[in-house]
Amino acid sequence: MAQESTCPVREIRQEVASALAQESIKEPRARMRAEKLLVLLEDIAQGRAGSEHLADLKAVARSLTERQDAHGADLGQRILSLLESQGEIFQSHILTRNCASGACDMLAPAPCQMACPSGIDVPSYVALIGQGRYQEAVNLIRQDNPFPWVCGLVCTHPCEFVCVRGQVDSPVAIKELKAFAAEKALSEGRYLNPPKEPATGHMVCVVGAGPAGLTAAYFLALKGHKVTVIEALPMAGGMMMVGIPRFRLPREVIDREVAFIEELGVEFRFNTRLGVEVTLQSLRKEGFEAFFIAVGAHASHRLAVPGEDLPQVLDAVRFLRDVAMGARKRPGERVLVVGGGNVAIDAARTLVRLGCREVTLLYRRSRSEMPANVEEVRQAEEEGVRLVFLTIPVEVMGEKGRVVGLRCLRARLSEPDARGRRRPVPIEGSDHIMAADAVVTAIGQRVLTEGLEHLDLRWSSWDTIVADTITAGAGREGIFAGGDVVLGPATVVEAIGAGKRAAEGIDRFLKGLPQPTMPAVPVRRARLEPWEMAASLKMDLKRCEMPLLGPERRRITFQQVELGLGEEQARREAHRCLRCDICKRCGRCVVVCRDRMEIDALKLGYVGQPGESPTDFRMTSERCILCGACAANCPTGAMQMEDRGEERLLILGGTILQRERLERCQGCGDYLGPSRYLDFVRKRTSGLAQAFAGRLLCEKCARRATAESKSGMSVPQG
Amino acid sequence: MEQQGALRQGDRVEIYRASGDQRWESYMARYIGMKGVVTDPDVVINDPDALVEVTLEGTGGTHRFPQDCLRRLGTGS
Ligand code: SF4
Ligand code: SF4
Repeated sequence: MAQESTCPVREIRQEVASALAQESIKEPRARMRAEKLLVLLEDIAQGRAGSEHLADLKAVARSLTERQDAHGADLGQRILSLLESQGEIFQSHILTRNCASGACDMLAPAPCQMACPSGIDVPSYVALIGQGRYQEAVNLIRQDNPFPWVCGLVCTHPCEFVCVRGQVDSPVAIKELKAFAAEKALSEGRYLNPPKEPATGHMVCVVGAGPAGLTAAYFLALKGHKVTVIEALPMAGGMMMVGIPRFRLPREVIDREVAFIEELGVEFRFNTRLGVEVTLQSLRKEGFEAFFIAVGAHASHRLAVPGEDLPQVLDAVRFLRDVAMGARKRPGERVLVVGGGNVAIDAARTLVRLGCREVTLLYRRSRSEMPANVEEVRQAEEEGVRLVFLTIPVEVMGEKGRVVGLRCLRARLSEPDARGRRRPVPIEGSDHIMAADAVVTAIGQRVLTEGLEHLDLRWSSWDTIVADTITAGAGREGIFAGGDVVLGPATVVEAIGAGKRAAEGIDRFLKGLPQPTMPAVPVRRARLEPWEMAASLKMDLKRCEMPLLGPERRRITFQQVELGLGEEQARREAHRCLRCDICKRCGRCVVVCRDRMEIDALKLGYVGQPGESPTDFRMTSERCILCGACAANCPTGAMQMEDRGEERLLILGGTILQRERLERCQGCGDYLGPSRYLDFVRKRTSGLAQAFAGRLLCEKCARRATAESKSGMSVPQG
Repeated sequence: MEQQGALRQGDRVEIYRASGDQRWESYMARYIGMKGVVTDPDVVINDPDALVEVTLEGTGGTHRFPQDCLRRLGTGS
């Protein structure tokens, strides 16, 4: 079962409740205050608290310390010191309606939301898509992430790796759903910015219009600050624009989402480099009070082999950037790409589209060590990219100033070294030349430090800025940093997360508020009613497949490869969600049914340890008697038992696990319960069953029937 | 360091100790002992010095960790 960790809110609430139950607080006024404390703590733990709750809690706790009741005074004191040492957690419960530890039942967050670096409330937007409310879904996403469409196309989707549906069959296609909703809302012109707070008069400068910088600009503008973004390139988007090829992420997608940020009043200064056109001093003079350094990893590592300076040797980052900015000339007919990561794959697939006759990717290690995304490697192969493993380039061969090939060595993998790595070891005498007229290198990126030196910040040995990743503070008053410049090359969604945290850090700095010491907890944006469907349908819904452009077309155009989900497909996919924002997978229902009722009807393997036992919602109907013990013991209300008309239903997060017709009392006509339940009760109360003499009677009618049979007289009704 | 070879997307890992790397931050200490899945090994090459993205099980969230604090528990696929 899901492990419960501790939470100070839950712990102190339990302490107060037990002090009241055990009557250890004696003095009447102290008791009244303790009762008030319990109400306040319950509100916080259930997500009902408002902005006044913490102040009230403090005031009541303080007044409890002043009463003549030793136990009460102790409790008051404990609360005061908890608020002092762990106030952030209390505050976070109120603001986010999520308890990161999962201990507060009603606030246990869904794993997908917690996994999202930008903290999107996944189950809520998935539920909205399932209901056909696409615009609301996108607006909900945009409360946490200004790039739903970009992320829907290129996010590495950490959420899907922890999606609980993955324990049943395969994860919900969370990323694809996001792209679907964004496209739908945008095409219908119903894509909105959240409301903006009143202007504060503060000025913030963001350096770099990549995902981190743009996200920070978005959230800072929403908070009412005046934001200017300076960018070395002539357009916004950073690595999203110049590092990710158009066939994965069309330019229009970025442009459209950036336009919404601009609409918030964010000003852009393109072709402007920090340290060249402007400096920290000049910007300070303009009135900027805070700076967010969010430059990307635009520089490449070199191969460090002879011949590398020939003009047909290109670094992949630069090559991709030139193509993104409109260059369409192919660098050669036979091109070798060196590297095994996503950038190498992107470069190889781009070369195919430019019309190169032969594109071969060389990687030093084996296929199983290749860090590139498996799906993209597969697509590259479909498009005709040849992969050659265990090959180390040692010299770029040139003739008359032109590349003619790459001298390589074959390699084998060594035994693991002290760090556990199997290194490629060249095989003696395996020298060979691979003919080529151009070489593209993709062996690593780094941040270009040029222009940032004058900021006087601390740098790590990996050429990254040493900054706090919770607040983005870079150690100098008013200077913040995040994204690639701090993490090294990272993902788009991580950059978005970094930008969001930086905006919070900068806002607090501008307002003179204390900075957090723990990573922010994502905000629960809604608690939507689950979509109802039969257990068999819920089980049968298999993960959707993204339709792709055919490989022939892919070889010759930059058209988007992923064609997007259809409406029907998207809604079905959304209905696969298990609504982990409601069911905290504590497993109490399973235990009660199995151990206390001895029925064992719930086959919910996913509420246990991964892989422990399979899940089959359909099997509940074989044994479930609809006694309701599971629902009565469910701490979150995810398991519900309900009588509707002639039927009783057991529903878990919208999945109808069991439904049975209700039997009526043959005496008065009142509903009695489903027959299986009545059988179960009869078995346990056999004496009473005999008195019915085969008639189905409610308790009252049965009593009357028993009295009549014993006395031989008719008992009046009523 | 455990003998683990290059980390791949989908590998299950444990944060089994604090890292000696300069980029390990104090708040990460709370994750020691937690398990998770590698969601982004590193963007470009299998560089043992690159931070890798790990999504922690349960409600731990997604973070970038230095690799010397990670122990592989199983492969992804
Ligand atoms: S089943 Fe739904 S709520 Fe649960 S992890 Fe997956 S997407 Fe999130
Ligand atoms: S439905 Fe079961 S597993 Fe889910 S929260 Fe309720 S008792 Fe826990």
